[in-house]
Amino acid sequence: MIHARVDGHAVTSICHSSLKGQKIILCTPIDDQGAATGAPFAAIDPLGAGRHMRVFITTDGSFSQTTVGDDASPIRNQVIGLIDPDQ
Amino acid sequence: MKPGRVVGNVTFHQAAPAFRGARWLLVSPMGEDELTGRNPRGISNESSPVVFDKLGAGVGDHILYVEGSEATQPFEGPIPLDAICIAILDEHEFEPPA
Repeated sequence: MIHARVDGHAVTSICHSSLKGQKIILCTPIDDQGAATGAPFAAIDPLGAGRHMRVFITTDGSFSQTTVGDDASPIRNQVIGLIDPDQ
Repeated sequence: MKPGRVVGNVTFHQAAPAFRGARWLLVSPMGEDELTGRNPRGISNESSPVVFDKLGAGVGDHILYVEGSEATQPFEGPIPLDAICIAILDEHEFEPPA
């Protein structure tokens, strides 16, 4: 589980079939003060996180395989929670 | 799943049988400076992995690649693979809060 901030998004038309139709966000891992703790990474976002929202991300690929309905999907990162803004 | 920029190709004249005909990319991971365009070279100081590709990415393309065991998921049997290109990006935007 990674605590991250949504800092952008990406659009692709040539991709693995399991990514088709998925919203892709670019986010930065952060600490509890909001400071970056590592390099930016990408994740699929079925929950619709907004810009600069704080989110929780799972790196469990087998969970994302059930999300996209493809047990051959290489997707690894997925938003699983949007953190309340006032926390 | 990491954003990266293709900076080169790698070819083998001998490879494991599972990789016959495979394309390989040399990829520079994109950090904040590369994603925001602040680094005009577009190439980060991170070490550059070699990434399996069957989407047809070329030098200069921005891609997403996956490292770790998930990279082997699209293959039927066990395969000695660490990184795979899963998307060629049409566009991206990245803007951390000031």
